[in-house]
Amino acid sequence: MPSPALGSQPPEDITAGRRRTELSMLMFAFAIVAFAFASTAFSLKGQRLSTFVAIMIAFIAIMIGAHLAVRRWAPYADPLLLPLAAILNGLGLVMIYRLHEAGRNGNAGPVSTAGNTIPITTLSSSAVTLQIVYTVLGIGCFVAFLVFVKEPRVLQRYTYLLGLVGVFLIALPAFLPSSISGVAGTGAKIQISLGGFTIQPEEFAKLALAAFFAGYLVAKRDVLSLAGRRVLGVDLPRGRDLGPIALIWLASLLLLVFESDIGTSAVFMGLFVAMIYIATSRTSWLLIGFISFIGGAFLAAKLFSHVGLRFSVWLHPFSTQNLIDYPQPSYQTVQGLYGMANGGLLGRGLGNGLPYWTPLVQSDFIFTAFGEELGLAGVMALLLVYGLIVQRGLRTAVMIKDPYSKLLAGGLSFMLALQVFVIVGGVTRLIPLTGITTPFLSQGGSSLVASWVLIAVLVRLSDTARRPPPRPIQEEGLTQVVSVK
Amino acid sequence: MNRALKRISIAVLVMFLLLMINVNYLQAFETSSLSTRPDNIRAVSEANQYERGDIVTADGVVIAGTKPSNDFYKYQRYYTDGPVYAPVTGYDTIYSTSGVEHEEDALLSGNGSQLAFRNFIDMITNKPQKGATVQLTINSRAQLAAYAGLAEILKGTGHVGGVVALNPATGAILAMASYPSYDPNLLASHNGTEVNTVDKALLTQSPSPLLNNATQTTLPPGSTFKIVTSSAWFTQDPTRTTSSMVYSPQVLTLPQTVNKLHNDGGEICGSAGANGQTTILWAFSQSCDTTFGNLGIDLGGTALNSMAERFGMNDPDLNVPGVTMAPSQYIVPPSQALTAFSAIGQYSDTVTPLQEAMFAAAIADNGTLMKPYLIQQVTASDLSVVQSTTPSVLNPSVVSPAIANDVKQMMIAVVQQPQGTAFAFNQGNENGLIIAGKTGTAQNLLNGVSPNPDAVFTAFAPANNPKIAVGVIVQGGGYGAASAAPIAVKVIEAYLATLGIQ
Repeated sequence: MPSPALGSQPPEDITAGRRRTELSMLMFAFAIVAFAFASTAFSLKGQRLSTFVAIMIAFIAIMIGAHLAVRRWAPYADPLLLPLAAILNGLGLVMIYRLHEAGRNGNAGPVSTAGNTIPITTLSSSAVTLQIVYTVLGIGCFVAFLVFVKEPRVLQRYTYLLGLVGVFLIALPAFLPSSISGVAGTGAKIQISLGGFTIQPEEFAKLALAAFFAGYLVAKRDVLSLAGRRVLGVDLPRGRDLGPIALIWLASLLLLVFESDIGTSAVFMGLFVAMIYIATSRTSWLLIGFISFIGGAFLAAKLFSHVGLRFSVWLHPFSTQNLIDYPQPSYQTVQGLYGMANGGLLGRGLGNGLPYWTPLVQSDFIFTAFGEELGLAGVMALLLVYGLIVQRGLRTAVMIKDPYSKLLAGGLSFMLALQVFVIVGGVTRLIPLTGITTPFLSQGGSSLVASWVLIAVLVRLSDTARRPPPRPIQEEGLTQVVSVK
Repeated sequence: MNRALKRISIAVLVMFLLLMINVNYLQAFETSSLSTRPDNIRAVSEANQYERGDIVTADGVVIAGTKPSNDFYKYQRYYTDGPVYAPVTGYDTIYSTSGVEHEEDALLSGNGSQLAFRNFIDMITNKPQKGATVQLTINSRAQLAAYAGLAEILKGTGHVGGVVALNPATGAILAMASYPSYDPNLLASHNGTEVNTVDKALLTQSPSPLLNNATQTTLPPGSTFKIVTSSAWFTQDPTRTTSSMVYSPQVLTLPQTVNKLHNDGGEICGSAGANGQTTILWAFSQSCDTTFGNLGIDLGGTALNSMAERFGMNDPDLNVPGVTMAPSQYIVPPSQALTAFSAIGQYSDTVTPLQEAMFAAAIADNGTLMKPYLIQQVTASDLSVVQSTTPSVLNPSVVSPAIANDVKQMMIAVVQQPQGTAFAFNQGNENGLIIAGKTGTAQNLLNGVSPNPDAVFTAFAPANNPKIAVGVIVQGGGYGAASAAPIAVKVIEAYLATLGIQ
């Protein structure tokens, strides 16, 4: 990844802004999403052309709106961020449409299996409409962020406020009764359900905390960089500076224990460790963070059965105890793997697979639905799209000069990468499964809106990074200041 | 900070690489091991997402096909005249398969390696995968006649029966019916609970409808075994002819016991009187037990065993793809008295209706026994042949052509001459068609369920130019000529009618 050296001017070609590139890339994204919709329509029975056209028009209108907002309020932004996020959002819509059609209109699916006791995913008939509404909300927040936050450094002023908000949001479900905060059947307490409307505050908390970490670490990075004792060739930080990381470690463990939310806990910890490393360039922080998290997770696995079960399912998914005996803890993981296997290299084609056999396939396991219907080719492409977003974010971080913005861009990019790693790695059994959403693809509003806000922050940061420096007002003759005693 | 950012970038790269390597491993290398796991419901479901190939008879009747389904699978399997063809097609449930459905599952489902290239072309041209069509050797008329005949006699009796018809020249199975039977349509339901209920009901019924009585149930052959005994006798001395005289007493005193062997109803065998001789042809056509009991003692168990094995008995390796088999058996008796019984198809002799048909087929084909087969050919959806069966010889010379002709003459006498056991029955059926056959009326003492003897008949026709060989066993059917022979004649007539004969 070639990147300009620190402090260098942005290359000449990008100073003009790249909005046309963005638009043409968006067109490319529209074409892929439209093609995916058409392919789904061919495979499923009883589809009406008007439905697809309506969804496509809505999708295109929303994304063009976002593009116009970028033109107006962030003209120098990275041209790839919006199209990459748009293609993921669009493919998520396609898959949710495909899943919600399962069993309807005579399509293969679970609805008519009256005597069948196999648990199957069904989506309400309004799932697609709702997902479009969430997309509108997401883009609304995206635009609002660009309009109201002209300079990323403005956020630095609210560092501690954002930290408080983050901690409040993330801790809130733990204090609420399970009837409000519990996710059915998982034991996790990560949401707030009121009157049929559900939000997952942690999705927003992650963003607030990233901003808080950036502000906090920029202020404290000189202190945190001080070397303490040297052990085995690694400079350890001073004992008294270990306070903050210990606090975060404790908080993430509390999250793990009280909300059963291993995934967010891992992302939370990983985010902090990565940001403290970026801020201080001290490898010791990475080691301390990594080892303490692994140690903590191991301890939790030993102490709490529901955490231990995740490890057991990861290591022995096909054992009789995990797969056959009630309550079949590895059933979902194994169904996801069978789905991926069913897809093979090129997939069954959209609408031709059987993703609905996997429980919760529309949220945590949506990646396996893509694996089943688009095959290895499809999921490799999805991973590349995620990888490109992260790469654009990290590139922005390298380019931008202001340390706060640099930390924020690096942290958010890494957080996105980590989130993808945790959920995709989880459903493909690379690591133990921890239920978090797949950014942009999963059904659900909180995750989608939060993901768009993340993109908005990266767009704003990249706009700042790539904005050409203001031309000097005076062309010649520098004013010389002399001091006269 | 940029140095750290670059290192973080490398960490991110490693994370994505790990994910990519893992999905590659999962989707490119681990697919087959995951797909073949028994609890993988997708493997089962996937089979029902494609149009499974048809199973058709030799005359083009679709006996197992697929129709579009409106539940969670795209296609529903259906069976035409389910109970008639059940022993042939087998079933295809969401859990398992049997019969031809099982044998040709890979090609019917379209997943067979022979179809891989066509599937690839179909995928590129966006045509849905479709299974190959399996064409059987079964003739629908013969099959319907066989099942109807069995059902007419056996309905409500609680007894079992089976019919097999072969093409003597090729070994092609023209009909294979079993009673009682079941309707595979009930097992084709996509509702697992329903399938389990039906399956449980079928498994608890007695006699079991799932058993293919045409090839899996063995019963005593009775007098039809005299084909084997006389073949052995002719083979022992090639100068013997159908007019050779044989000892045919009214009562045969068995060596080393006080038991005596009588003819049916204690009757005298032809002109032999109480202790005289008659021709082998007469003894065969009248089915004199004393004559053949005595021949058996003379020949010995080993010679009978050797001839029985040449007809295909005692062969556990004889397998017909798509058909579950039980071997017919002849056990060399430990004493002369029991050898006498074994020579008339009693003692431990047990045969399947398929074996009965093979007796007739070997004689009909001048002593050559062809290997029975059921699956004629398999054609892919583009009509290209992916698999076909060429007739093969099971035993080129069960008996010499001359001996086969002798036995044939004796079998014709059974039906055509007044002393023949099937003569009376054949009166009125006479329409120029000459059938060669042998009746059997087997005392089935081992089988307590049967108050009547088992009726057995083996035949081929037309006698001068054999096109079909039939074996029928009706448990508890009484005299072979009374209940088994009429079924055989119906099957023969139905089949010959399709050939334009009669």
